[in-house]
Amino acid sequence: MSKPLISAHSIVRFFDSLKVLNGSEFNLTEGEFVAITGKSGVGKSTLLGVLGTLDSSFSGELFINGVNTAEASSSQLAELRREFMGFIFQDFHLLPNLSALDNVLLPAVFCGTDTGSIRDDARAILSRLDLRNDNTPTRFLSRGERQRVASARALVNNPRVLMADEPTASLDEESEANLFDLLDSLRKEKGFAMIAVLHSKKILSRADRILELKEGVLYEKHA
Amino acid sequence: MKNMRKAISLWNRGHWKDYVFSQGMLLIASLLLVFFISIGLGVGTILQRFLSSDLPEEQVRVTPLGVQAGFFQTERGGMEITADIMDSLAALPQVDRIDPQVYAHVPAYLRGLLGGRNYYTDITLEGVSDAFVPDSMLEHIDWNYTLSDSSEKPLPIILSENLLILYNAGFAESNGLMGLTPEGVIGLEVRVNVGSSSIASLQAPPINLRAEIVGTSRNTALFALAVPIEFVEEVNALYLPDDRHTYSALMVTAHEAEDVPEIVRYAEELGLSAETRRGIAQKAEILVGVVTAALGALAAAILFSAVASAIHTLVADLKNRSYALGVLVALGTKRERLVYIFAFQIFFMSLISTVSGGLLGCGLSYLVSTTLLNLLPVLKMAVNSLAVFPVGWLSAGLGLVLSVSTVSAWFFFRKILTTPVTELLRR
Repeated sequence: MSKPLISAHSIVRFFDSLKVLNGSEFNLTEGEFVAITGKSGVGKSTLLGVLGTLDSSFSGELFINGVNTAEASSSQLAELRREFMGFIFQDFHLLPNLSALDNVLLPAVFCGTDTGSIRDDARAILSRLDLRNDNTPTRFLSRGERQRVASARALVNNPRVLMADEPTASLDEESEANLFDLLDSLRKEKGFAMIAVLHSKKILSRADRILELKEGVLYEKHA
Repeated sequence: MKNMRKAISLWNRGHWKDYVFSQGMLLIASLLLVFFISIGLGVGTILQRFLSSDLPEEQVRVTPLGVQAGFFQTERGGMEITADIMDSLAALPQVDRIDPQVYAHVPAYLRGLLGGRNYYTDITLEGVSDAFVPDSMLEHIDWNYTLSDSSEKPLPIILSENLLILYNAGFAESNGLMGLTPEGVIGLEVRVNVGSSSIASLQAPPINLRAEIVGTSRNTALFALAVPIEFVEEVNALYLPDDRHTYSALMVTAHEAEDVPEIVRYAEELGLSAETRRGIAQKAEILVGVVTAALGALAAAILFSAVASAIHTLVADLKNRSYALGVLVALGTKRERLVYIFAFQIFFMSLISTVSGGLLGCGLSYLVSTTLLNLLPVLKMAVNSLAVFPVGWLSAGLGLVLSVSTVSAWFFFRKILTTPVTELLRR
């Protein structure tokens, strides 16, 4: 069995006295697509935040690419997020004054990476996602378009793990299917694993594993 | 750092207005700081100049108490300085010598041509010895004069510089006359009429003399013209032979400067006023201190509000954008790199604003100084420029503005960066 990309044990997360995650166990292997489902407010986004090293206020063990996050410096964690993972946030988290291309290039620009080659990749991926490659600030784009810009930004660095928090929440059925067709094809092409918080039954059926978060614990629903 | 310009450009896109405003406030703060330091110190210099004295450190000028108002004040207003008093002062072991000064007890008036216009004024003559005249001046003039010299040479006159100031400020301006500087009046020839009075019956007829202004001094009585003492003694004896002999002032020279306080104490015990260089300087310092403190308080208030406004805008902008910082951190930007980029931006932009404000402040000070000096010749007489530019003080002030604003923004920025990402991402 291949080494897990992400391995989490006994994850407990409190918000004041409210226990949102209660000893969750999680593993993700190379190329795998794991869907996380559950009722609203159950803690799916919180779990994704923990697994994505955005939230460090938890107890338990989390290994990312073999690195124990409890022992990693903030710089190492930043590097993991940048090099190893890609994020599609529920609220997109785009900078509204920047164009789609600039939003996609943002991590590379701020990390001092050479943007020359990434710029070509960014243009290609924006084009594959049927997005205009002009200077229009993203605040003028529709929700669906912004969702696709967020997806492009997550994919441009060729991550090994893509984390998506309800990536199709803003899309109609056709766009939802198109986005996952593209993600599936890219996943096959590039081989990244994916964790996605999802509700749509059609999309859930594409996952390798479906985990349901209930009372702070993850339960496997079916393969 | 690679992509620094691009990163700064992306970060600021759509936010330049906020930056321009905050940097504008910083610029105004720097401008006001430089303006107030420059003009404040300039005003201090003017006051020092007006209030300073030429009195040597080891001399005490002893005068009767009371206010002088032309020659009528003389020795009628309080304790008079008689020969007995002078002898008692001379008997002090600390006293080296005493040079008395005497008012002419008869009226006089002065006529002359100034800028092509006739003028005349009533005057008081005060006889002083050559000890009163600085050595540098004595090298060029002859301070010996009696009535018998009147046909051969002009009567030498030393004019009060403070009288010149009053003339310039109050009289010349309102009468459309030219302003006078100390250098400009030296060599001016006038006619002096002594002993012409419509209010007193005098034994001898008036005498008309040729006179020349040979110097100016800050130690003469305000409304009197200093002339050689032998001349005044002669005039007093001629017109009022029965008048009691009193002195307008005594210039007491101590053996050492340290002896001066004892002489002052004794003169004051006698009911006389004693002026020393240190005493005049102390009075000047108090006045300059009050004016400087008032200007300083005003400057501090304006500066505080401008800097507070600049900091508030900078911090408010950062606060509004804590979400964007959260996005950058979430996407894997190292916090250290963000600190580096934004510290550079905040410091660099604030530096430009502060230096620009400082330069504009210098320009404004110069403009105000030039305008005031052109409007008020009295100021021109005292100083060449109302604005002074002490590089050290100005640099320290601007450095303070720069450090206060950037350090505040820096602390707030650090605070944002230590906030958990998930909190920053919650709008």
